[in-house]
Amino acid sequence: MKKYILKRVITAIFTLLAITLILFILMQLMPGSPFNDEKLNESQKAALYAKYGLDKPIVVQFFRYVTNMFKGDLGVSYKISKNTPITQLIASRLPISIGVGFAAVFIGAIVGLLLGLLAAFKRDTAWDTLATVISVIGVSVPSYVFALALSYQFGFKLDWFPMLFSAKDVIRSSVLPSISLSMFTMASIARFTRAEMIEVLGSDYMLLAESKGLSGNKLVFSHALRNALIPIITVLAPLVVDLMTGSLVVEKIFSIPGVGSLLVNAIQSNDYNVVIALSFIYSAMYIGIMLVVDILYGVIDPRIRVAKEAD
Amino acid sequence: MVETAIDKESYVPVEADFRLKGKTADDFVDTNFASQNFWKEVVARFWRKKSAVIGLVFVIIISFFAFVGPVMNEYTYSGQNLDQKNLAPRIPIIEYTGFFDGHENIKTTSGTKTVNYYFEKHLPDTFYWFGSDNFGRDIWTRTWSGAQVSLIIAVAAAIIDMIIGMSYGLVSGYFGGKVDMVLQRILEIANGIPRLVIVTLLLLLFKPGMITIIIALMLTEWVGMSRIARAEMLKLKEQEFVLASRTLGAGNMHIIFSEVLPNIIGPIITQVMFSIPTAIFTEAFLSFVGLGIPVPRCSLGSLISEGFNSFTTHPYQIIPPIIVMALLMLSFNLVADGLREALDPKLKEM
Repeated sequence: MKKYILKRVITAIFTLLAITLILFILMQLMPGSPFNDEKLNESQKAALYAKYGLDKPIVVQFFRYVTNMFKGDLGVSYKISKNTPITQLIASRLPISIGVGFAAVFIGAIVGLLLGLLAAFKRDTAWDTLATVISVIGVSVPSYVFALALSYQFGFKLDWFPMLFSAKDVIRSSVLPSISLSMFTMASIARFTRAEMIEVLGSDYMLLAESKGLSGNKLVFSHALRNALIPIITVLAPLVVDLMTGSLVVEKIFSIPGVGSLLVNAIQSNDYNVVIALSFIYSAMYIGIMLVVDILYGVIDPRIRVAKEAD
Repeated sequence: MVETAIDKESYVPVEADFRLKGKTADDFVDTNFASQNFWKEVVARFWRKKSAVIGLVFVIIISFFAFVGPVMNEYTYSGQNLDQKNLAPRIPIIEYTGFFDGHENIKTTSGTKTVNYYFEKHLPDTFYWFGSDNFGRDIWTRTWSGAQVSLIIAVAAAIIDMIIGMSYGLVSGYFGGKVDMVLQRILEIANGIPRLVIVTLLLLLFKPGMITIIIALMLTEWVGMSRIARAEMLKLKEQEFVLASRTLGAGNMHIIFSEVLPNIIGPIITQVMFSIPTAIFTEAFLSFVGLGIPVPRCSLGSLISEGFNSFTTHPYQIIPPIIVMALLMLSFNLVADGLREALDPKLKEM
């Protein structure tokens, strides 16, 4: 087990390093220098370069860059708000994004689980068809279509929820964005739960449990559902990716002051430094979650662990 | 004992004995066990799945309009007419039913009022089937030419993806050992990078355009394809037909691409079908963020992004591209699902 975790962690670190290298190269390739202010003369520029270490050899710069990144110093923004450290820009936005994302996962997981269970227990009935239709639509229609539709219907037409995010009314104004983000999560969890439940319900150990005289809730929850839930962890990774992608556009639609809309703004105003810093954060989060999912999966299912160790 | 057998000497054959007995009644072929062409069976299974057929019909309809739609009226995708901006949808003949007659509800401070700009601007013979946008461009033409651009990008990306990912996976699986180890570590790292980050950074670096977007999309999707190709290769490479081919002196490349590849084409096609909607989505996302197709060309994503700016005042501007895109992604997913089941009937549902 230790060997397995160690291997996963090392891979993750290498991946993160590779990404940092790519980001660094991209930063070098980006047109323009950070100090292309016409008011600066050559000696002032040289002084600034020396101050930020840009006159050092590229290898030294890379090491500085890597250590800074891992220390949490992400540089400063050049365009969006001049000379503000990016960490400061992010600090106020991250909680909002995480809040909405968490709400989306929560809603998606609960509703998806219920939908999947309903479909599995009422297999081949109208309920099953309904659940299937909902999950197919949820998987294949992008989250911002839902966001626009919900925002138009419930925000504009019916005026039940605010169309735009407001800091004063966080709960009510997070409802629509969370629901639109949760659709994909919900649909994939529903699909998976249904498939797994049907397999588990037909298994021999369920027959055994039933023949021992178990019935009702105990049978369903402690025997069937527990085993069906295991593979659902695998859905987590793609789900997080979708949340990240979706959040960019959904945050823009509802003008949520989160990390996603910061990235969109940075892209649109060519603030490369912010784009690259946020890319690093997204990559780190992504790799971190993949790592956790991989390890969790190894812990829960020994077959995976053994197979990967032998690999 | 009674003699019942026909006496051989005395039996005289009649003509009927030489005629072919009508055996149509015995001719029943048990289709369950009859040997059939693999692809014939796949097609039959595909047709049996209703959702997949519906998806295919929609894919065909949308593709048809994507190429024929833009030339169905006199407008072009970039032609502006500022006198005729923000006109609601109006279609000849259907307009008499009260739908699509060019009226629009405007929300004002005093309440909602219904206006028809076609009459106010004295344009009795002007028809914008899906309305016109805030530059006076025809939304019908733009929607379909946007769908065309999105489709071309998605299909091109998916096909290039398939070629790269497939070759990578096949080579990695076939040679195994050190080659496989190195290639798989590279893949692991590539897979660890969020796709979106790579696409965004690439587009910041290069000038946005169709080719750049295709390259960016291609870079993100090949990983999944190569995994599938490698897994299939590992299953097949120990089989006798590979050994036979090698004994006969076939080279590695011949075995990989002419012997094994035709046997794994099923899962590969399915994966291509699944990667098309993903590509459409990513392209739409990029356009929405402002990294998409440069103006005046449009894609579904850029249309949605434009329509979003006025979607509360003129909702008809965003509805056509949104519906086309949602339908397109949904139908490609349905077709891919159906194809997967048709190619591998053992697969469990959903």
